[in-house]
Amino acid sequence: MNAKVSTSGDIAAAALAPSGRALPLLDRSARIQLVIGILILVVATIVPSALGQAYWIGIVNLAIIYVVASIFMGLLLVDAGQVSFGHGAVFGAAAYAVGIACGMHGLSFPVGIVFGVLAALVIGVLFALPALRVQWFYLGFVTLSAAMVFPQMLFAFNTLTNGINGISIPLPQLNAPILFGLSALSIMTLVLGIAAIATSAIFPKTLLGRRMRVASASPEAAQSLGISPGRMRFIAFMIASFGTGLAGVLYPPTVGFVSPNAFHLDMSILFFFAVIVGGKGQPLGTIAGVTLLYLLPNVFLAQLIEYRPLVYGTVAFLVMLLMPAGIVGGVVRWLTLRQKPQRMPALQFGHIVDSAQVSLPRPEGNAIEIKDVRKAFGSVVAINNVTLTVRRGEIHGLVGANGSGKTSLLNVLNGFSASDAGTVKVNGRDVTSLRAREVAKLGVGRTFQTPRIFEQLSAWDNVQIGLDAKLSSNPTLVSEHFVGSLRDILGPLRTESIPHGQRRLLEVIRVILTDADILLLDEPAAGLSPEERLAFAALLRDLRDKLGLTIIFVEHDLDLVARVADRVTVLESGTVIASGDVASVWNDPKVKPLFVSVRHA
Amino acid sequence: MWQEYAIILVRGIGLGSVYALIAMSFNIVKVSSGILNFAQGNMFVLGGMMAYGFVAFFGQPSLGVWILLIPVAAIVIAVLLTIQGYLTMLPLSYSDDQQSWLITTMAVSIIIGAILLLVQGPNALMVRSIFANIPVFGMRVPAPFLMAIGLALFWYVVLQWFLSKTLTGLAISALWQDPVAGRAAGLKVRRLQLLAFGISGLIVGSAGFVSAPIITLASDSAVAYVLNGFVALVIGGVASNTGALIAGPLVGVAAMLATFKLGGEFQGLVSMLILVTILLIRPEGIFGSTAARRV
Repeated sequence: MNAKVSTSGDIAAAALAPSGRALPLLDRSARIQLVIGILILVVATIVPSALGQAYWIGIVNLAIIYVVASIFMGLLLVDAGQVSFGHGAVFGAAAYAVGIACGMHGLSFPVGIVFGVLAALVIGVLFALPALRVQWFYLGFVTLSAAMVFPQMLFAFNTLTNGINGISIPLPQLNAPILFGLSALSIMTLVLGIAAIATSAIFPKTLLGRRMRVASASPEAAQSLGISPGRMRFIAFMIASFGTGLAGVLYPPTVGFVSPNAFHLDMSILFFFAVIVGGKGQPLGTIAGVTLLYLLPNVFLAQLIEYRPLVYGTVAFLVMLLMPAGIVGGVVRWLTLRQKPQRMPALQFGHIVDSAQVSLPRPEGNAIEIKDVRKAFGSVVAINNVTLTVRRGEIHGLVGANGSGKTSLLNVLNGFSASDAGTVKVNGRDVTSLRAREVAKLGVGRTFQTPRIFEQLSAWDNVQIGLDAKLSSNPTLVSEHFVGSLRDILGPLRTESIPHGQRRLLEVIRVILTDADILLLDEPAAGLSPEERLAFAALLRDLRDKLGLTIIFVEHDLDLVARVADRVTVLESGTVIASGDVASVWNDPKVKPLFVSVRHA
Repeated sequence: MWQEYAIILVRGIGLGSVYALIAMSFNIVKVSSGILNFAQGNMFVLGGMMAYGFVAFFGQPSLGVWILLIPVAAIVIAVLLTIQGYLTMLPLSYSDDQQSWLITTMAVSIIIGAILLLVQGPNALMVRSIFANIPVFGMRVPAPFLMAIGLALFWYVVLQWFLSKTLTGLAISALWQDPVAGRAAGLKVRRLQLLAFGISGLIVGSAGFVSAPIITLASDSAVAYVLNGFVALVIGGVASNTGALIAGPLVGVAAMLATFKLGGEFQGLVSMLILVTILLIRPEGIFGSTAARRV
């Protein structure tokens, strides 16, 4: 099985001949959890109905509804990185919409469902708007205050909501057994529960899920791959509200009644704690969390209602102290720790393009034209009237001391920071005022000084996000063979096993796979061994000669620059002091003293 | 007519001073450890409960005893908060998940609220002030409103002096700038963070005790104080005590206005709208100096 840990020998062997097998969609842990989760839901639904235990039917249905709401809150938290302490308001809005539609106005339940989901989406939009500006616990507090205000508003608009009296929703036909003793409500709840748990397992492996995780882990990296972090957040809020809304509409028929007191802050906290206590990102996690925080206290403390919050707070506190990754997360981690440590085999770049392919003729024209660009941060002038031209199909080295403006120049070039003056052209097109993700879509890929390899994604997914984001219309020149062997190497590898130097290389490969025709590499060779540097230099030359790419790279290793660069630009205090072919720049009297000091620094 | 506004203003500033005190207590913990202690609201309520407990057991205290009881309440809450701080930071030292405090501080808040519910039930406790009402603009204002203002000014001056003039205070400020560099420079980071938790306890303990007659002392009232304290913190700018001192009364007056003009159930909505507006327009806060900090 691919998901099993193989020895490094196996991996090396696999690297020589790609297996051609696709990776399984889910890793082993997610598959097992998904199966167990579905079994638990099915058994928990069928057994009480078969025995005709009305009390248990109700409490299990409600628990599954809470599991669904928690799963979608967890999707928001884990996949999109958005903290919502107010998910109870989304849930409550859906439940109340059903109550108002069916209980007060006598509409049918299907119509109620439509209103309920719409109400949940409205609250979702209200939550998503501040999320465009603020993040993390600031967003948590905004949503928290919304959850606090929600029941108050139910009181305030009592003509619409019946205020303190609440609304009773008699829907007996939903609770009547229709199939094997199961009621329509139980069947709907079970189906929704299974759909939710399957979503939580599969979503991270979808294109959208990968993009969301990248946007959450590093908005900059997301933009450089053409992804809009704001749009990802908005979509995440919509998905989460939709799912939570579906859970919320099942609440009134299950309980038979809605009242403002049912949708206090406690409900939002329950959803949040269920995810954390169970284990973030674990498909079984919310089932464990809801069982521990809701089901068990309700069953065993049925007579001691006032002790429930104490048990509930104490359980959450103790789990965080003893198992910070949550219960399921802790078990999974314990099992992973017992696995053998992995060694990543060296990456082979020899087959990055098919050997049959002949060298491309070098393309004509300029890839990048920077004219009189200036960028100041406060009183610090990072780039001072830089003019620089990079020809198509050229490897251009950008050298200079720390703080000389190299990275700032890359940032202006790919749209991360807006220049104060001057123009930037990419392939003849003015991109001065474009945003990073628009520049990316013109075929400009980039890597970062600190490699953006994300532990939230599997090793292969970290590279696959490059394949996901096709930045230019160029036909893919990277060989299938290379991609296949890369997938075989990375498939079984855990992300945390990737050594630091290899992370940079993987990031470079990710950008190559986007089919960008201009690569901006920020210190790509830092942390590589001398042999790896030789291989890397060969890779850069291959990219130029066989893929026809234009490469601008910032590098401190002057030997490497001399070995591969066609031309070099030297920056000093934000100004270009020399630019041209390597030999002439190296012998420039202005440059020489700089390098001596650099080399001995 | 103007008298109504005058009373809204005085009471709003008094209540707002309580929010300012809570915001300052948030600040010192946030500065030292990056933690926003959710349990601060219930610790504040506990301080008020101590005033109630004393009256319940010993009757109304004399002025001298009352003044002596302020530091006692402050120290008791400080000890509780130091213990809480120790427990909160435990998982931070052995887990790579550095966000567990979000859950643990919230859990502690729930635990305190649950214990209060078990001990004294769901109703709010009333504490009678030992002071007569004080005439302001021809109206009689309960003295604790004015004393809360005094206490906020007192803690502001003490904190500013402590953080900028003493070596320990400067060390705590340094942790906000760069905790790693602070550790490298030999600061005993954990000890400073515990001290900050303790100081935050002194602030909320004394604040709860002094303002007991004018606040809601119930098992579920803490969240409102946490939220309003947080709104004051955001408006003032994180880590700025000056901002907190000015923003607290602004929030208090707005809350009072909402209560008088729209009704009590809209107070939370007004606080939330202020919070959202500030975060959308100026996330670093009106008095915040950390303009470049991402939130």
